[in-house]
Parts: sequence; structure tokens; C-alpha cells
Amino acid sequence: MTKVLIIAEHDGKHINGSTARAVTCAQGLSAESVEIAVFAAEGTALAGQAATLSGVTKVLLIENPANEHALAAVLAPQIEVLASEYSHVLAPSTTFGKDLTPRIAAHLGVPQISDIMRVESPRIFDRPIYAGNAIVTVEAPAGIVVATVRTASFSEAETTGSATIEKREVNIELPSHTRFVKLETSGGGDRPDLQAATKVVSGGRGVGSKDNFNVIYSLADKLGAAVGASRAAVDAGFIPNDHQVGQTGKIIAPELYMAFGISGAIQHLAGIKDAGTIVAINKDPDAPIFEVADFGLVGDLFEIIPELEKALA
Amino acid sequence: MPEYKAPQRDMMFVLNDIINVSELAELPGFEDATPDIVQGVVDEAAKIIENTIAPLNETGDREGCRFDNGMVTAPAGFKEAYQLYTESGWTGLDKSIDFGGQGLPYTLATAVSDMLCAGNDAFSLYPGLTNGACEALMEHGSQELQDTYLEKLTTGEWTGTMCLTEPQAGSDLSQVRTRAIDQNDGTYLIEGTKIFITGGEHDFVDNIIHLVLARLPDAPAGVKGISMFVVPKFMVDSDGNPGARNPVVCASIEEKMGIHGSSTCVMSFENATGYLIGNANEGLRYMFTMMNLARLMVGLQGLGVAERATQGAIEYAKERKQATAINGGETIIHHPDVRRMLMTMKALTEGCRMVAYDTAKHYDISKAHPDESVRKTANDRVELMTPICKAFATDVGCEVASLGVLVLGGAGYIRESGMEQYIRDAKIFCIYEGTNTIQALDLVGRKMKMNLPQTFIKEMINDLATESGNDELGFIVEPMQAALNLLDKTTQWLTAAALEDPQNPAATAVEYLTMYSLVTHGHFWIKAARAALAKQDDDFYKAKLVTARFFANKILPRIYGLAPVIMAGSEPVMTAEEDWL
Amino acid sequence: MKILVAVKRVVDFNVRIQVKADGSGIASDGVKMSMNPFDEIAVEEALRLKEAGKAEEVIAITIGPKASQEQLRTALAMGADRAIHVETDEDIQPLTAARILNAIIDKEEPKIVMLGKQAIDDDNNQTAQMLAALANWPQATFASQLEVDGDVANVTREVDAGLETIAVDLPAVISADLRLNEPRYVKLPDIMKAKRKPIDTFTLADLGVEAAASVKVLKTSAPATRQAGIKVETVDELVVALKERGLF
Repeated sequence: MTKVLIIAEHDGKHINGSTARAVTCAQGLSAESVEIAVFAAEGTALAGQAATLSGVTKVLLIENPANEHALAAVLAPQIEVLASEYSHVLAPSTTFGKDLTPRIAAHLGVPQISDIMRVESPRIFDRPIYAGNAIVTVEAPAGIVVATVRTASFSEAETTGSATIEKREVNIELPSHTRFVKLETSGGGDRPDLQAATKVVSGGRGVGSKDNFNVIYSLADKLGAAVGASRAAVDAGFIPNDHQVGQTGKIIAPELYMAFGISGAIQHLAGIKDAGTIVAINKDPDAPIFEVADFGLVGDLFEIIPELEKALA
Repeated sequence: MPEYKAPQRDMMFVLNDIINVSELAELPGFEDATPDIVQGVVDEAAKIIENTIAPLNETGDREGCRFDNGMVTAPAGFKEAYQLYTESGWTGLDKSIDFGGQGLPYTLATAVSDMLCAGNDAFSLYPGLTNGACEALMEHGSQELQDTYLEKLTTGEWTGTMCLTEPQAGSDLSQVRTRAIDQNDGTYLIEGTKIFITGGEHDFVDNIIHLVLARLPDAPAGVKGISMFVVPKFMVDSDGNPGARNPVVCASIEEKMGIHGSSTCVMSFENATGYLIGNANEGLRYMFTMMNLARLMVGLQGLGVAERATQGAIEYAKERKQATAINGGETIIHHPDVRRMLMTMKALTEGCRMVAYDTAKHYDISKAHPDESVRKTANDRVELMTPICKAFATDVGCEVASLGVLVLGGAGYIRESGMEQYIRDAKIFCIYEGTNTIQALDLVGRKMKMNLPQTFIKEMINDLATESGNDELGFIVEPMQAALNLLDKTTQWLTAAALEDPQNPAATAVEYLTMYSLVTHGHFWIKAARAALAKQDDDFYKAKLVTARFFANKILPRIYGLAPVIMAGSEPVMTAEEDWL
Repeated sequence: MKILVAVKRVVDFNVRIQVKADGSGIASDGVKMSMNPFDEIAVEEALRLKEAGKAEEVIAITIGPKASQEQLRTALAMGADRAIHVETDEDIQPLTAARILNAIIDKEEPKIVMLGKQAIDDDNNQTAQMLAALANWPQATFASQLEVDGDVANVTREVDAGLETIAVDLPAVISADLRLNEPRYVKLPDIMKAKRKPIDTFTLADLGVEAAASVKVLKTSAPATRQAGIKVETVDELVVALKERGLF
């Protein structure tokens, strides 16, 4: 009897997309029911959002001032109380889920499965190891399955559902040894480091000038991305060389690499071949970069970038 | 520019499977050289070299050193890297514990130098020359000189130089003219000009200690009239710290073909104060006691540049697509001629590593073994192998660097690829510390008179006899049987021809050294093949067998061109009149 | 106070791993092994706390075969005072590792246990959290900054939204993230000194630890190769495609 409980991730206002992806993953478990637990100080709106996720049968809302911030030591004991009714407890494999679920698993005395990429059966999953250079197919032992879901592997569930919402009281003593102090959101200052960034927006000779590079910076800031450049752009003086991506510059492997006005010389491609998703925008439909791009769009980058920014807003 | 990755697997293979480095830990004084220390030394030295020194190789080449009014600034980053390297204790690895060293075997220092030279040849010269100064003081300096200078040189807090060469005295040091005047107070005033002084001036440290060859006024002419002096850049005060400036100045630095990161200086001694090392008129003899280690060091520089070029060429060939190969492969590594070049680079480089490390082990035995006859035998091997380690490994450096550029094609000729730098760096290794001609003459002259080449040939033949039962090694044993016979025959011819006309060995020395080196490499490839046969399920060992086979079939046969050349003697070389050229 | 740092022997991060053709795992013969890079950062942080006078003793611990002692030697050469080797040839998964570390915590009573946030071989990112659970201690994961003030640690954590700071009462378990510090280079004299520092060896039985049920690996495969891409016609199509992949 497969009954899934998903721990929702939110920022106090919105249930985030990673939770919706965990729901999609849960669909592959052939579950009798998929329920979401929302822990919050005040969570009515949040529960309402969670209830719209297609495939969810019930939303549990556990309100408690102690739940205002997602502290693993505070949430885990509450989840453990609920867990006995379920065969699976899932959370997205975000810093939230990664911090929380192992604590739950250990208290329940079961192993945990990290980063599910694919569901083969209710107890058999694929997950990445060695930074994704190998995939293992694993089988969970008997007992409750506690796991995190790799968000990039599942699309978001539609918001066409209407699950019931049930308030739950979990009356246990909660620890006070862990206290939230503050959260500083990124994007207010420096851009991420090119070598480590998960997203990179890159410009080539097609950008045309140092001033024009502002469109690249602007898109990068909207995405929280680092800025890269081709050698041609660096040689032309558009941008300093520490942004150069390629064989003689930096070799990077971001999840998303967007190349604007870059033709795709072999040396540049050597710097990005391990990127997750490569997007290329270029006026020239025969530019070599389109041969390696996952998504290519032929067009004028100065028209396309503003459209992208609008879509992001 | 490809990054440098220390070839740790190959290094540990040579240390463990070829030379049995663990035997050194049984020698008195080397008890600490246990396997965990050996592994730790290789691991940690690799980290610091790969991350802090190798990245400066290309930038150092581009920037070079800057000279300004007697002061020299090394390329950006060199000073900080030098300080981190010395503070981490690496320069004292094999030096005396009494002076702040770690007293570990020279073999381990060789493994570290293998990486340092490959990581950054120019940088390696700064601690490298200091080694020579340390050794001279250790072997021949008075207690007082040792107490004043040795500890700071050992830890790298000060650096040292070898000031030997003058405009008219390079290969022929008997022509040295720098003067030393006795002040009758224990000091001398040194006056003269030295050229091509590596590290003569730079901005890393608070004091530079020059070891200078000079003549006393009443000294006999020629080689028997040269003395060795310590001339510090700053006089050392009673607290052991740098004090007054001594009038030794850098007059200029050279613009060279390569090793731009190394400052090559003209040093002007303007009545600078110096201290005699050991006895008067014995300077050249003292210098020769350091010669072996200095020459082995240059051999490691040749190995280093070969390793670097090989790594870069293989990496390129695995990525570059140009024309589908005959076997269907898309990348150029599948083209037979590219593969030929890469296998040549790989076989020669790995062979040089085996010879270098084995020679280092013999050096350690020659110093540390309790039995005198064992020490002497080991020392004989070091004497024999020194010209081979120096000349052949540096010739290999040049050959492999050149092949590296060819593998990269047009891109190889472009500076940005980083490959052409190795050709420019490699050439000097064939020249300094005794040109490869000098090395060859040493082999066919002094070493032949000591009967060393002949003795080792017999040893190699004996070792081979123990392998001849093994069918699986036949692919190398049989060619080596023929090779050793030919080498033996050629050696006998040469010793006889030397008696007829000393120009015979002189005109064929270089070819003889090459031939001898190739056969020596074959001797080690048999060991490598034997070790690899025992562990065949691992790709590393499969590769060793294949490389051994390549050596046997494609490199060893070079001796068949060399032997007749040698045995044609000096006549075809020397008959032309000077004017006809 | 005592700080316990757990380190793991893993395939060196520079090695390009090969998946065995029969699906039975990764080719590991003769492959270079090193200390997990995140663990090195954890050791460095512990040493800095000691050098700042906040701790008297740093103890390194590893769980693994005899060869794992190499990683303990590295930790000792970096500056750890002594080491513990829990020797086993079995494959140890996070829950069992947490149980072992919990047993050691009972013996040694450290105030801080530091681990790397994840091992670069299995990429699980679980052991620190599980240990904290078993010990009933606070956990501060993905630390990029750490300040110890008496009995409280203020830890800044790298989270998806930015940098979160929490305060945890000691004793606590902390896991190190990449930007916490840059580990020192080991000095040669310290490699020699490390030889003389003690390593105590235990088995799971000595500690009274039973291995937990494990996740069974059914097969190991290579990842899917890069597929040919597609051309989209409009910006909207591109945005949809990227949102699908969770990238926008």
C-alpha cells in the first residue's frame, strides 16, 4: 500500500516549484494517495496553493510559531509523528530537503535515498553518483522509504487539482537548541563566481561592444547567473579576460549555459561540453554552436534578451 | 594551456615496482622513509606544485624577469610561490637534519623534483641552484661557514648561486680569471665578472649566497689554480642576519630563448668580501663533487619538459577531430602517425623516469650504506649514469617537445597552446651544467677509463640471462640480447680505437652516449614488462606492456644506425681543412 | 573543547571515473584515492578553531579499510592531534556511519563534530544530519562561515535562497561547504611528525555497532550521452523549454 507524504518547501508566501516537481515524481510510485505536509507559522494560503497541485489528494497544515523558519531539528520530529501513516516520505532535493530528510530517516531507523532521478518502481530508483558521471539503480530495504527528489529530472505538476486541506496538531516538545538568525538573499551584490555558478550567461563577438555587454550583465542579474565570454569578445576588449570561457579560459559545467552572439569555435566548446543545458542565440543559422546546443534560437540577441527578461519578470 | 597533473601512478610504479624504494628505509639514517611517508611526500608535493607553481609556468614565460638598476624582479607570483614552497619545508627534504632539513633520501627529492621541473622548469632553478651551494658548504665548508650559511640555505630562507662561468671560460673552466686577494684577516676581496649566473639576483629573499670560482694571485695556471669562495650579497652580522651590502651586483640579465622565469645574470664582483671554502687551489675539485647532483637535476628538467609535452599532446589528440582515421576513429589519436609520435613521447619519457629514479637510489646507497664496498659500487653506478641521465634525458626533452608541437599542428606553433614553450625551454638543458658534448666526452673518456660502461654492460647481460626462460618477455629479451651484444662490440671497438687516435672517441662520443642510453632504457623496460606481466588486469599495466613493446620494436633499433656511425670513427669527421667549411 | 572531524577516503576528484561495462560498479583498481575535498575543508576549519584557542584537541576519524589510514595521516599532517580508525572492508552507508560516529561521540564527548557536507563518490549528503539525529544534537549543514562564541555556534549556511545564519547550542554537528575555507598545504616536516601521532583502531563490534539495513545497488550505468538539440522558433518556446527543465 503506497501512501506518499511530500514535505512542502516554501518561503512563507509561495510553495515553490521544487515541491511541484516532487509531486510529479510521486506519481510514478503508483500511490494510493499523495499528500503534502505544509509546516508554517501561518499557512492557510500556502496550503491553498499546495492543494492545487494535480495528483495531490490531501494537504496537511501544521501551524506553529516554531515552524516560521524551516529548521530541520524543529520540523523533523513533527514529521516523524506523521510518518507512521505513510510508506514514502519525500522532499525536493533542495538545500531545504537535503538538510531535513536524513534527520527524519535516521530517527525512523531507515536509510535515505538522495536525488531520485527516475522511479522504476515504488522501491527502485535511479540516482546520480560521482557528480552525475555514473547512475546507480538502487532498491530501498523494507520499511518506510525516505528520499529526496532531484528537481531537474521532473517537471512541475499542473495546478489543476483541488485537494482537501486538513489542519493537524502535532503536540510534542520541540527543541530550542537551533535558532534562526537571518537570511541574506543573493543578487543584491556580487554575481556568482563563474567557475562555480549554476547558471552562466555568455556573450561573444556578436554583442558588438563593451557598452553593449550591458545587456548580458542585465540578463545575468535577472537569472542570478555568472557572466562569461568567448575569446573573441575578450580579444576585442568587450570584457576582461577572467570571464573567458573555453579551452584557454575557464572550463565550466553550469546547469544552464546561454551563449549570445557566440559562433562556437571548438576551443570555446571545450569549455562548456559538460554543461547541463546549452542554449544558443545567434543571427547565423549555420553557426557551429547550434550543433551542440540543446536549444537553439536564430535571431537578434538585442531583440531576444529583452523578451527573455520580460518572461522572467 | 593544459594543466599539469603529476603522473603519480607512474611515479609510484617506478618507486615501488622498479626500484624497490622501500629498501632505502633499511639504511641507517633513512628509517623514516617508510611507504606511508613516500606516499605522503608524493601526494602533498603534487598538490602544492600543481596548484601554486605549475600555473605560473606559462605566465612566467610570457612575463619574464625585469631588470632595473641592479635589481631583478621575477615574474608575478614567483616570489609568493617560492615562499610558500620553502615554508612548507620542501627544499630541505634531503638535507641534513642538523641544519633544518628532513634527512630523507635523495630518491624522494628526485621524485619531488620530477614534479617541480615538469610543473615549472624556470621556477625549479631557484631552489635547484641553492642545492648546489648547500652541497658545497656541506662537503667542504668550515664549521664556521656552515654555521653562518647552511641553515638558511637549507630552509630556503636564503638562496644560493654557482658563479663559475665567465665570457672566456664556459666549458673550459680552467680559463677563469676572477681574482681573489687575501686580506690576511680570514677574508678575501673578489674582483671579476661572471656570466650566465642563474638566480644571481631576484626579489624572493633577504640574502643571496654566491659560490664563486676565482684565482689567488700566486695560484698555478690552469685547473690546479682555482679556489672556491663564499660571497654573500649582504654581509652576515653577529646575529646571523643580513647586514651591510657587499659590492656584488647584477649588471644585467639575459634575454634568452626560454626559461624566461629564471633570472640569468651578469654578476659583477667589485672587490666584494669573500670567504675561502676548504683549501686554496682545490676549488675545481670541490665543484666536481657537486657536479653529479647538478647534472642529475638537469636530467630531471629534461624529463620534466618531456612529461609536460607528452601530457599536453595526448590530451589534444584525444579531443581534436580531423579526418576519419583508417580504423574509423574520429579523433587524431587514431591516426597511425600521430599515434607513433605519442607512443614515442610516452616511451622515452617513462624510460627517463626509470633511469633517473634508479640512479637516485644508487646515490642514496653510495652515501648511506654501512658497507664501504657496497657504497663504492653504488657510487660507480652514479658516476656512469650521470652523463646518461643528463645528456639523454635532455635530448629526449628536446625530441619530445618538438614532437609535441607537431602533434598539435598549426595550433602547436601558436604561443597560446603552451606547447612551443617547451621547445624553447628544453634547449638550454642540453647546454648548461656541462653541454651534452661534455657529458658524452666524460662517458667515453674518464668513465671508460674507470671501466664503468663495460662493467654495467656485463651486469645487463647477466640480468638478461635470468629472463631468457620467460617466453612472455621474449618480445623484449630477444632484441635486448642482440642490442647488448652490439653495444659490447661497439664499446670494445671504441676503447681500441681510442688508443689509435684520441679523436675517435671524441668524434663519436655523442652517438655512443645515445646508443648506450637506449640500451640502458631497454634494460629498464624489461623490468617494467616483468612487473606489468604480474598484474595484467589493470589498464595501467597493460599500457606498460604495450609501451615496452613499442620501445623494443620502434626505439631500441635506433642503435643499428648508431653502431656503424660510431665504428666509422673520426676520419670522415675531421679530414676536411678548416677553410673548406 | 574537543572537535571530532570525520574524513572519508574517496576516488580523487580529478579522476575521470569509468563505469564497468557489466554494470557492476566503477573501475577502481589502481585509481588515485584522496581525502574527500569537503572533509579537507572540515579538517581545516577544526584546526583554525584550535589555533584561535577555541578548542584544545582535534581528532580525525575515518571508517574504512586499512588503506584509509592514509587519509588519517593527511589529517594528522595538517595538524590534527590524534586519529581514530574504524576498520572495516564492508561498504558503509550513511546510517551505519552515523551509528559508528555516534558511538565514538559517546566515548570522546566532543563539543563539535565536523564533516564535509557530502562525499564526492556517493554524493549522498546525509551522514552529518543522521549523526545529529541519533545523538539528538543540533545540526548546521552546508556551513560557509562558522563562529564559536562560548557554548553557541553561529553558522552561516549556503542555501538556495542565499545565506542563512542560524545559532546552535553546542554540542552540535556541522557540515562544511565549499566556501568555508581554503585548506592549507601540508608541510613536509608535519608529514614526518604525523608518523608519531597515535591512531587508535576499532571494529564495529568493538563499538557495539550493528550495521543498518542498506540500500541495495542493483546496477551502475553510464549517464545518457548528450542528445542532439533542437531549434526553437520563438522566445516563448525557449522559455517554456527551460522552465520544463527547472532552469528558468
